[in-house]
Amino acid sequence: MKSRRRSAELGLIVLASAITGGAYVLASLGWSASVPANIGPFLGVVIGLLLFAHLANRWLAPRADPVLLPLAALLNGLGYVMIARLAGDLGDDAADLPGLQANWVAVSIAAYVAVLLFVRRVRSLERYRYILAVIGLFLLIVPLIPGIGREINGARIWASIGPVNFQPGEFAKLALAVFFAAYLTDKRELLQQATFRIGRLRLPEPRHLGPIILAWGISVLVMISEKDLGSSLLFFAMFVVLLWVATEKVSYVLLGTALFSAGAYFAWAQFDHVRERISTWIDPWSVAKDEGFQTVEAAFALADGGLTGSGLGLGQPDRIPEVETDFIFAAIGEELGLIGSTAILIAYLLMIGSGLRIAVRASRTFDKLLAVGLTTLVGVQAFIIIGGVIRLVPLTGITLPFVSYGGSSLLANYVLLALLVRLSDEVEGGADQVALAASEKPTESVA
Amino acid sequence: MNVQIRRLATVFILLYGALFVQLNIIQLFGAERLNNDPNNTRPLYDDFDERRGDIVSADGALLATTVEIDDPRFERQRTYPTGDLFGHVSGFFSFNFGADGVEREYDDLLSGDTNKQKFSDLGAILHERDLTADIELTLRRDVQQVARDALGDRKGSVVAIDPRTGAILAAHSWPNYDPSKLSDPDAARAEEARQELLAADGNPLLPKFYREIFFPGSTFKVITAAAGLETGAVGLADPVYPTVTSYTPPLSTRPISNFEGSSCGGRLIEVLRRSCNSAFTQMAAEQLGPNPMIDMAEAFGFNWELPIDLPAPAVSNFPTDYGSFVAPITEYVEDPFPGPNGEPAEVFDSQATLAQAAIGQNDVKATPILMAMVAGAIANDGLMMKPYVMDRAVDQTGDVVAETEPSLWIQSTRPSTAATLQIAMEDVVKGGTASGLAINGFTVGGKTGTAQLGTPEPQSHAWIIGYAGPSGEPASVAVAVLVEAQQGASEQTGGRVAAPIARAVLEQALRPIEPVTD
Repeated sequence: MKSRRRSAELGLIVLASAITGGAYVLASLGWSASVPANIGPFLGVVIGLLLFAHLANRWLAPRADPVLLPLAALLNGLGYVMIARLAGDLGDDAADLPGLQANWVAVSIAAYVAVLLFVRRVRSLERYRYILAVIGLFLLIVPLIPGIGREINGARIWASIGPVNFQPGEFAKLALAVFFAAYLTDKRELLQQATFRIGRLRLPEPRHLGPIILAWGISVLVMISEKDLGSSLLFFAMFVVLLWVATEKVSYVLLGTALFSAGAYFAWAQFDHVRERISTWIDPWSVAKDEGFQTVEAAFALADGGLTGSGLGLGQPDRIPEVETDFIFAAIGEELGLIGSTAILIAYLLMIGSGLRIAVRASRTFDKLLAVGLTTLVGVQAFIIIGGVIRLVPLTGITLPFVSYGGSSLLANYVLLALLVRLSDEVEGGADQVALAASEKPTESVA
Repeated sequence: MNVQIRRLATVFILLYGALFVQLNIIQLFGAERLNNDPNNTRPLYDDFDERRGDIVSADGALLATTVEIDDPRFERQRTYPTGDLFGHVSGFFSFNFGADGVEREYDDLLSGDTNKQKFSDLGAILHERDLTADIELTLRRDVQQVARDALGDRKGSVVAIDPRTGAILAAHSWPNYDPSKLSDPDAARAEEARQELLAADGNPLLPKFYREIFFPGSTFKVITAAAGLETGAVGLADPVYPTVTSYTPPLSTRPISNFEGSSCGGRLIEVLRRSCNSAFTQMAAEQLGPNPMIDMAEAFGFNWELPIDLPAPAVSNFPTDYGSFVAPITEYVEDPFPGPNGEPAEVFDSQATLAQAAIGQNDVKATPILMAMVAGAIANDGLMMKPYVMDRAVDQTGDVVAETEPSLWIQSTRPSTAATLQIAMEDVVKGGTASGLAINGFTVGGKTGTAQLGTPEPQSHAWIIGYAGPSGEPASVAVAVLVEAQQGASEQTGGRVAAPIARAVLEQALRPIEPVTD
C-alpha cells in the first residue's frame, strides 16, 4: 500500500510540475509574447526540488498521505509563476522578487526534509511543550524589541538581524500550536469537568484553564500591539477549535465567540485602524480612492477576469497594492478567472480534508489535536485572506499559505506540512508499526 | 473527539462554500456592474490600444480620431485635429487619466462594445472585423468657431441649442484645453500637460458650460414672470407696478434697488424691458410667495440633474428653504396685487431671500446650458427638451447603431404663458436692454442679466439669453452667453458685453449647415 501511495504522489507531483511549467510559459507568452529563455532550467529546478521532497517522503514517511505534498507544490508553483509574472510589471523594486522567492522555496523544501529527518515521532515534541510555549511567546515579542523589530506597512511584525528580515510570528504559530495540543492533551479531562461556577455558568477550575488563557491572552495582546489583526484572528480560531475538539464541549465555542466579540468590540472602539478596516469592509466604494482602493481594485480585477480570466500575463493585476503578497489571490482570479480562483479554493479544501482525515484516524489525543491545530492554521489563514480580498470578511493582512511572496511564511508552512506528513505516516502505521513489524519479521526491509 | 473533527470539516466546507458564492457574485453575476463602475479605469486600459471610432461635428469636421504610432508600448494614439475648440465636448481619452466628455459617455459605441455592435454580425466572431462606431455630434464647427472668436480671451461660456429638439449646436467655455496633450501615451509628458492645466488660471479642464453654476442675475426674471403668468397673478394689462427706485420686502428693512438707482415700473412688458428689480421683487414677495416660485424654477430644470449625454453635469440651484409660514400678505400690505390663483400670497420667514432669488441673486445659480434651455423652452411654447450632443453613431459599414430621438424633459409652462413671455422677450430686443440682439428679417427674443457679485470691488457676470427664428416660424436657435466677472470691468452689463456674442452665434446658427470641405 505504501508504494502505491508514493506512486500516486509521484504522478501528482509530475502533474503539478507540468501545470507550473505550462503556466510559466503561458505567463511569459502573455506578457512578452515569447517563450521564456530559462524554461529548461526552470522546469529542471521545479522537478528537482519536488523529486527531492518526494524521495524524502519515500524514505522517511513512506505511508504518508500522497496528496499533501503535491497540493503544496501546486499552490507554491502557481504562486511563484504569478510572482515572476508580476515582477515584470511592478518595476525595478520588484525585479529581485522571483529570485528571492526561488531561494526561499529551496530553503523551505530543505527544511521540510530536515523536519522529516529529525522529527521521527511527533509525540517527541510533546515533551517540549513549555519550552515551545516560551519560544512561541518570545518569537511573538521579538518585533517589539527596539533595534531588532521593524515596522513595515503599519504592522510591527518584522525582525531584522543583519541582512535577514523575517516574520517571527509565522514560526510562533507553529510553536504555540504544539503547545496548545500538548497542554490540552494533559488537561482535557479536567477541562471537561465544569466545577467552577459563576452565576449559572459552569466553568472548569481556573487553575487548569489559567495557563492556556494566559498564553493565548499574551499572544493576542502582542499581536494587537503589533497591529497584526490577521494573525490575531488566526490564533483565536485555532485556540477555540482546539479547546472545542479537546473537551468536546460546544460551550467553549460559545465562550470563545463571546470573548472574540468582546475583543473585537474593544479593538473597534479603541483603534482607528480597526474602525477604518470595518468601515472599508462595509463600504469601500465611498473611499475608493483612499482606504478602499486596494479592495475596490481587487474587485475590479476579479470582475475583469470573469469566468475564464484574462489569461496569464494579460491582465493588469499590478494595479492592486500588495498584489504579490496579501492580494495575490486577486491576481490569480483576474488572470485565471473564476475557474482558477475556484481551483485554489479546492486545493485548500483538499489539504484541509487530508489534515482532518489524519486527525480522525490518529489514535493518540496529542496526534489528533496537533493535526487539527495545524490544519486549522492553514485552512483559517487561507480563509481569512481570501475572504478579506473578496470582501466576505473584513480585510486583515496575512499571507496566502504557499502562494504569497514571503520567505518566513513559506518556510513556516513547509515545516507545518512536514509535521502533517509525519503525523500521517505515523497514523497509517508508520515508524511504530514498521519498527514492530521489523522486530517480528526481521526480513522485511524498513525502507 | 472525532465527532467534533467531522463537524469541523463541515464548518470548513461551509466557510469555503461562502468564499465560492462570493467569488461567483464578484466574477460572474456582478462582473458587468463592476466593469462599468465609474471608479474602474480598467476598461480604458483594455481599450486604449484598440481601434476606436472617430468623433465628427454635424458639418463633418473631424474632432477626434485614432492614429497609428511608433511607440514601444502602444500601436495607436488618440488625437484631436481641432485642438482645444471642442476639448470640453469631446473630452479626452487618456491611458493615464481615463476619459471625459463624449469619449467617456460613448466609450462603448466608440470601442464597439455595445451588444448591438457585437452581435450585429455573428460572422465577426469568426473573423476579425472592425466593430467600432463613429459618433456624429449635433454641434456645428462653424457655430462653435464663431462662439469662440466672439468670446475671445474673456472667461465665460456660450451655448446654442435647437429649442425644438434639445440638440446642442455649440458649447464653448473659455479657458479650455487641447485633449491631444492629455492623450499622449508618454506618461511623463501627459502628466506634465495635466499639471500645467491644473495650475492654470480659470481651471481650463472644467467644462463650465455644464459643470459650473453661476448667479443668473436678471435673466432669471423670465422665470419669475413665468410664475406670475402661470398662476394668474400677472397679466399683460395688470398689475401696473409703481415707479420707484427700490422695493423693501415684508419682514425686511433693506431695500432692493433698481440698476444704478433709476426709478422704474409699469406693466409686465415694461418692467421686463427695463429689467426693474423693484417690480420683480415685489411680484415674488407680495404676489407669489415661496411655493409658486420654487415650482416654476423646478419646472425650468433647477434642482434637477440635467439629463444630458455628457458626464457629471452640475445641478442648477434654486433655494427651497424659506423658514416657516408667518402670515398671508394681507397682514402686511393693504389691498395687495392679486396672488396665485386668486389667493393672497403667503409670507414666510425669509421672504426677503425670495425677493432676491426672484432676480437671480442670493443662492440662485445656474449652468449656462440650463439658461439656454430656459430661453429655448419659452421659444418652444413651454416645452423643455432633453439636451444632447450625440446625433447618431454609425459603424464602419455605414449602419446606424445608435441615434438620439429628441424627447421632452419638462413641460415648463402652458403654451399661453410661453406665448406671453415671447411677446415680452421680443419686446426686450425691440426696445429694451437686449436691443443688441436684433437680427434683420428674424424674430428674436432675449433677456439680459448683470449679476453683481458681493465682492469688495464691484464686479458682475454679464449674461444674455435669447432665441431666434425666421419670422412667423418657431424659433430654431436658443442661446445663452455668460461673460464672467473680471477685475477692472465693473461696468460690464449683459446688454453691452454679452449681446454681441449672442447675436453673432445666433446669426451663424441661423445659416443653413454647410459641410466642411477641408
